Amino acid sequence: MSYKIAVVGDQDTITGFALAGATYTHIHTAREETLAKLNEFFASGEIGLVLITHRVAEEFGFDFRQMLRTKGLLPLVLRIPDKTGYMPKVDELRKIIRRTVGAEIMVKKEGL
Amino acid sequence: MAMALAVAPTRMELLKLRQRVGLAQKGYDLLKEKMDALVIEFFEVLKRIQEARPKALEQLSVAHRALSMCFAIVGTLETKQASKETKRELQVDVSTRHIMGIAVPAVEVGEVERNALIRGYGLHMTSSVLDEASKKFERALKLLIELAEFEESAFAIAREFEKTKRRVNALEYILIPRLKEAIKFIMMRLDEMERENFSRLKRIKAMLEERE
Amino acid sequence: MSSDRIIKLELSRLNLHLPERRLSLKEALLSPRPQVAARDGSVHVFKRGELEFLAGLLPEADRDKLPLPILIALEPKLGRGTARISGEVEVKVVSQVLGKEAAAGELLIYRPEVAILRRKLPTTTQYLFMW
Repeated sequence: MSYKIAVVGDQDTITGFALAGATYTHIHTAREETLAKLNEFFASGEIGLVLITHRVAEEFGFDFRQMLRTKGLLPLVLRIPDKTGYMPKVDELRKIIRRTVGAEIMVKKEGL
Repeated sequence: MAMALAVAPTRMELLKLRQRVGLAQKGYDLLKEKMDALVIEFFEVLKRIQEARPKALEQLSVAHRALSMCFAIVGTLETKQASKETKRELQVDVSTRHIMGIAVPAVEVGEVERNALIRGYGLHMTSSVLDEASKKFERALKLLIELAEFEESAFAIAREFEKTKRRVNALEYILIPRLKEAIKFIMMRLDEMERENFSRLKRIKAMLEERE
Repeated sequence: MSSDRIIKLELSRLNLHLPERRLSLKEALLSPRPQVAARDGSVHVFKRGELEFLAGLLPEADRDKLPLPILIALEPKLGRGTARISGEVEVKVVSQVLGKEAAAGELLIYRPEVAILRRKLPTTTQYLFMW
């Protein structure tokens, strides 16, 4: 199945990805508006990938994580740095590794 | 998996409980194997993320630099206008593959890079700086799509791992100990009953002997 | 639901991702979209690159004797982290991929080897849970 691409972030980010062919874009200014847009992107069956800047994702904090938890396989969601390269200090994946697999890393290391 | 300790102290019940411990133990062993396999899968995806992420992020920052250049030379308004006029119909092909019942995305990206003509922002806009910025964002997008597949897979595997771990823990720390506790209780009661029987028999025997 | 039923359900779920019918390497190579349907109705796709890699390991005549996906059987009674590969051609292929001495009809592999196998053949191998 083929799907379209949506991008949420600042002006530079959405201009760049629009030039690359992304179908839907939203510049984040007001919280409620962006939240509604995100819900729309997540619910639409035709979007396969949502790119969102770390800065915006972080601002939505709990609400955004909640949306990730309740979405299905699609759309895929990827957090990306903006022009300034901003990324949160704590990497989401590292957090998960620590929370879930943590102790098992040792097992794996022994195994290798 | 709550279970009351209210069991009848009979041999029949003991047999049933032993079968239940057997089943629980089997479930525990298998789910433990599944957890190990999930760890293997998780680290395989993690390795791919570690390869893909730096490349994608580097390309993204290259693209942003090209865009800044474009804003400066072509003009901010003109660049934005071009981004609105360009054909924006890039498609990603997403299907699924399965790792032990976990659906993980399998993404197929066709050719993302286009030429100026296909991009379709009016020819009056044509500028090599604009083309350069577009091309660099197209490349970044292709790499980010792959990264998205890997990251989503990692999250899906981690979620299944958490779920499996909860079940394993429930078996290990709740169900199996409770069943074993119940078995111990029945065995004690049966022992007691046997001793009581034994002493009753002894008393009866003594009474009979006295009467003689 | 009683705990026994939960466990039984959990066990019955373990192998739902496996295909109803496996595809031979030869069939897979000939198919425009090589895939198998799992018992739960989902579709599992083989990557062409892997199929070609496997074809390179086998003489032409063996290609219709290799069923895909190759099953990595995890069996607690073998000991934690030990897996069994069964089938003549499967064993031949897996021992080549892992650089192991080819055994007859059956091959036991260990956790690090399972990891290597999964890395090299992510879509053409699948886990099977045995008890």
